[in-house]
Amino acid sequence: MNRQVLIKAENLTFKYGTEPPVLRNISLEIARGECVAVIGQNGAGKTTLAKHFNGMLKPVSGKVYVGGRDTERLKVSVLARTVGYVFQNPDHQIFHDTVGKEVAFGLKNFDLPGKVIEERVTAALETVGLTAHHATYPFNLSKGQRQRVALASVLAMQTEVIVLDEPTTGQDYRESMQIMNLVKKLNQNGHTVIFITHDMALVAEFAQRAIVLCNGEILADGGVRSIFSRPELLKETFLKPPQITALAQSLNRYAIPPDVLKVKEMYELLKARGEEIGCFS
Amino acid sequence: MTLLKIENLTFSYPQSIQPALKNINLAIKKGSFTGITGPTGAGKSTLAYCLNGIIPHFQGGKLGGQINLRGDSLFTLGTAQISRVVGSVFQDPDAQIISADVEQEVAFGPENLGVPPEEIEQRIAEALYLTGISGLRRRPTTVLSGGQKQRLAIAAALAVLPEILLLDEPTSELDPAGTEEIFQVLKKLNREHGITIIIIEQKTEQLATHADRIVVLNEGAVVMDDHPRQVFSKQQTLEAVGVRIPQVAGLAGMIGVNDRTPLPLTVEQAHRFIERILRR
Repeated sequence: MNRQVLIKAENLTFKYGTEPPVLRNISLEIARGECVAVIGQNGAGKTTLAKHFNGMLKPVSGKVYVGGRDTERLKVSVLARTVGYVFQNPDHQIFHDTVGKEVAFGLKNFDLPGKVIEERVTAALETVGLTAHHATYPFNLSKGQRQRVALASVLAMQTEVIVLDEPTTGQDYRESMQIMNLVKKLNQNGHTVIFITHDMALVAEFAQRAIVLCNGEILADGGVRSIFSRPELLKETFLKPPQITALAQSLNRYAIPPDVLKVKEMYELLKARGEEIGCFS
Repeated sequence: MTLLKIENLTFSYPQSIQPALKNINLAIKKGSFTGITGPTGAGKSTLAYCLNGIIPHFQGGKLGGQINLRGDSLFTLGTAQISRVVGSVFQDPDAQIISADVEQEVAFGPENLGVPPEEIEQRIAEALYLTGISGLRRRPTTVLSGGQKQRLAIAAALAVLPEILLLDEPTSELDPAGTEEIFQVLKKLNREHGITIIIIEQKTEQLATHADRIVVLNEGAVVMDDHPRQVFSKQQTLEAVGVRIPQVAGLAGMIGVNDRTPLPLTVEQAHRFIERILRR
């Protein structure tokens, strides 16, 4: 299958006014069907980069292409058909008085018949588990639920690319897993997903590729296994691999590989290793 | 010595059918480091509001039971009196910082309590030192990083010389480095200065490492209250409640633990745990 590039940045540099650049010389390609995590410490430029993917921000120099089109001359409302963006704080994007109206809002610009809009809203609310809240005032919901309203609004637009800025911040464990499993399902259904997070265990479990930002530059860009196998590199942007990966790296002399990502995977490896030397019950 | 004794504490918000807290019993010892965790809606913040006087002074509702602070009923104390004992730090650093620069922010509490100027100066220096931000004293608060802002919020709470620091998800908006900063500061305050820490937190890997006791709340009730090693051994209960199990503890749970190989809570402990098994 041909690799079809959906998002491409070429020497992207961005700054606010006369301040030093927030992004410097970023070049990357994201292809259809990828699930990419953007990681790095606070202030590394993650959100600023993501906002270039739907045209909310335009490069000061360099180029960003979405679906082959230069974002320079494209409005956010046009790019919104290709790239959906879920903000970190759902309260920054929710402004209608019912959940249903909120989710329908983005579709109003799509010239769709009312019936189709209603179908899409119903389907999106069902996907995020908020069917019962169609007529609820969004601010009567919990923050976790509002985060899912924001996600439903983007799902209803059925965009090829979905960008999520820290979708699990402020969520409890179960809510985080619900959101990430939903993201996984979207990716399996063919959507290209880009998510920003500080939770390395989520990166290990849900992303295939990680882009590591540090002070506005790309420090590394590659498969999650190879990125997490380089703890000294992560340290430069004050990150650490997940606990289980760090444990694997400390067990180097027992022939445990340094790129273990999941607890179950580690368990299977240890079981095999233990059975070999006859010490695992 | 028991500093805070919570007995049969029950609270319902106005107009709500379900109580937010149901018959909570906890005794907090002086010098302890207690982590409180549990899913959204479990009553964690409501419990914090009962401990710092927001309930009943600013939030009405139906309150039952008792909280004793060294023998005095907390509910009969005013918020000013409570604030001398319980210093609070909340989730959003921007929502709690009110001053233009770091020094003013730390001076605010003691100034309001009528502390003499020479002593305020001493307290500012001490609080900034303890939180590792002495070098930021003249900075505007707006230029601080998230971790620095939360350390400032802790410094401001410390300047009142509380015995207890109560923190409600102080790291949820922070990156991993900022989270680590906060836990290191809390550890130092607890170990070296005897300050009692009560922290509400979703990041159970950090709680497992630093707390000496973990309380799990669910639907307004205490479902677990024990040493971290005991709490994270009961993995089925934690999964049912929706509490994240630290990865190394989860791994050990799959392998099986016994007296010779107790449940590891940190990567270092897990390393020794695995070595023992592979050498067995």
